Amino acid sequence: MNNLPNKQGYFGAFGGKYIPETLSECVRELEEAYSRVKNNKAFKAELKYYLEDFAGRETPLYFAANLSKKLKMKVYLKREDLLHTGAHKINNSLGQILLARYMKKERIIAETGAGQHGVSVATVARLFDMPCEVYMGAVDVARQKMNVFRMKALGAKVIPVENGSKTLKDACSEAIRDWVTNVKNTYYLIGSPIGPHPYPMIVRDFQSVIGKEARVQILKKENRLPDYLVACVGGGSNAMGLFAPFEKDKNVKFIGVEAAGEGLNTHHHSASIARGRIGVLQGAKIYVLQDRYGQIENAHSIAPGLDYPGVGPQHCYYHDTQRAQYVSVNDNEALEGFHTLCMEEGIIPALESSHAIAYLKKLAP
Amino acid sequence: MFVFPAGGIKIWILFNNIMKLNDKFAQLRSEKRGAFIAYVPFGFPTIEKSKKIILTLQEAGVDIIELGLPFSDPLADGPIIQSACYEALTAGANADELFAAVAELKDKIHIPLVVMTYLNPVLHYGVEKFLAQMDKNDMRGIMLVDSPIEENADYMKLANKYDIATVCFVTPVTPPLRVAKIAGVASGFIYYISVTGTTGPRALKFDDIGAHIRLVRKYSPLPVCVGFGIHSREQVARIEHIADGAIVGSAIVKFIKDNHAHKDFFIELKKYITQLCTK
Repeated sequence: MNNLPNKQGYFGAFGGKYIPETLSECVRELEEAYSRVKNNKAFKAELKYYLEDFAGRETPLYFAANLSKKLKMKVYLKREDLLHTGAHKINNSLGQILLARYMKKERIIAETGAGQHGVSVATVARLFDMPCEVYMGAVDVARQKMNVFRMKALGAKVIPVENGSKTLKDACSEAIRDWVTNVKNTYYLIGSPIGPHPYPMIVRDFQSVIGKEARVQILKKENRLPDYLVACVGGGSNAMGLFAPFEKDKNVKFIGVEAAGEGLNTHHHSASIARGRIGVLQGAKIYVLQDRYGQIENAHSIAPGLDYPGVGPQHCYYHDTQRAQYVSVNDNEALEGFHTLCMEEGIIPALESSHAIAYLKKLAP
Repeated sequence: MFVFPAGGIKIWILFNNIMKLNDKFAQLRSEKRGAFIAYVPFGFPTIEKSKKIILTLQEAGVDIIELGLPFSDPLADGPIIQSACYEALTAGANADELFAAVAELKDKIHIPLVVMTYLNPVLHYGVEKFLAQMDKNDMRGIMLVDSPIEENADYMKLANKYDIATVCFVTPVTPPLRVAKIAGVASGFIYYISVTGTTGPRALKFDDIGAHIRLVRKYSPLPVCVGFGIHSREQVARIEHIADGAIVGSAIVKFIKDNHAHKDFFIELKKYITQLCTK
């Protein structure tokens, strides 16, 4: 489907494998294992089975009639919220845990921000009876109590991370430290298209089911492709899953919505593309929020899942090549988007997706 | 300064210059002893104290100082160094301050200074500008934790241009072919990481370490120094027996953290380091 990344793991100038030497060999093993399974019929059939019968695919592409009327343009919602565990994260978690099993890894670790990825990992780890530990920033543990409860109910160990900003970035660093320590038996199940190659590619591929389905569904319903695809972007997993299968449809414009938090001119936002500069964070060369000495700045968003000071390398590449346009929506606008969808459609969106809903107003004729 | 090695074969004439790594290891070989390498994060606990710590380490008999340029997200570091780096950043540590400090100290320093950091602060400063500043300040070695051989070609080339050694890491899980590749591009010394894990004091398996060092030596004529986990005089002595040097980081950082508020801190630090050096 996509030609990128290249063999070295780059999407144009972005990506790569900026990792401590201890991880080099296991990242190579992962790359090798993934290239063996990704076109393997049995693997694909098994993944399809779990995606359909366990997670509940396919998800509807729902015509949001009330919202469409209000905005004077047709809006379809890809209902990933209807999946088991309540978010698209399960697509990738199922794919990667099958890969981990194939690699005969015995233990699963993950990072989580909002807790949606953590819950999906806890879920698949339970499904396949593997011990699971989830790193979560202490701030997120406090603001996402329900998801902490769900992870624990599923038998996962939730480890609060007290370093730095105590959010997603720090959870990710702590998970990498665990991985460096337990590299032989542990599989690190990353939930965003970030980190060293091959993770951005793997997460994109497993999330691409979103865009593949949506493409078929919209053609069936409208007999044409959409003008725009709009999705929120933190690390960028749901956006990448939606965008990638439309990459060659040049008339379909991609819009990624970053979190402007309290405003792009404050230090409290997560708009890595709008305000970041090229840097290396957690294994990849990407746009990063950083100070003048290359120290990573703390991100902020009302949506914990967008609260990350970097963004996946393929999004950086889409931005550089202008394949996608990246815009931003602040905390208040996102809350407005949240209420709009609740009131117009009877659908309660996540705060993350509320950013994408909020942007629709700006797109309307 | 003049150094007359015990063997009396060679004479190193150093005009108050910071030594190069190669010369230092040649000197150590002729003295038939291993290197004692100390890691400290620059700017911890404060920039001023950090300068005095560097001089104290030298006085106490440290052979090489690995000077950390703190990074906000140190992936390979355990809690002790993480928190020290955080404090150093809060105290204002950055590349400009580091170079200013070394410029101020360099007439008093003769042991090699190696910069240890992560890629982003260097990238952001400008790789060439960073190396040029190192060159200007006689800092003759660099190691970047998150820049494995797949990614380091550009900076390696520039480091060569400025005659700065590029110390590379080998770990217990590095396969032989990769050891050979790493040995092919490394200079100064090979940093053998004793365990899979982050920095911090722990028990060591000397037999495993010995076996791996023999493997590294098969592919590389460079000195091999061992770091991660080393925290006692006994461990230093055993490592120096099987390798060309022992690197102590977290234990020293912890000592600084626990004692820097004391009135006689620098005397205590010198004593502590001297006993670790086992000379």
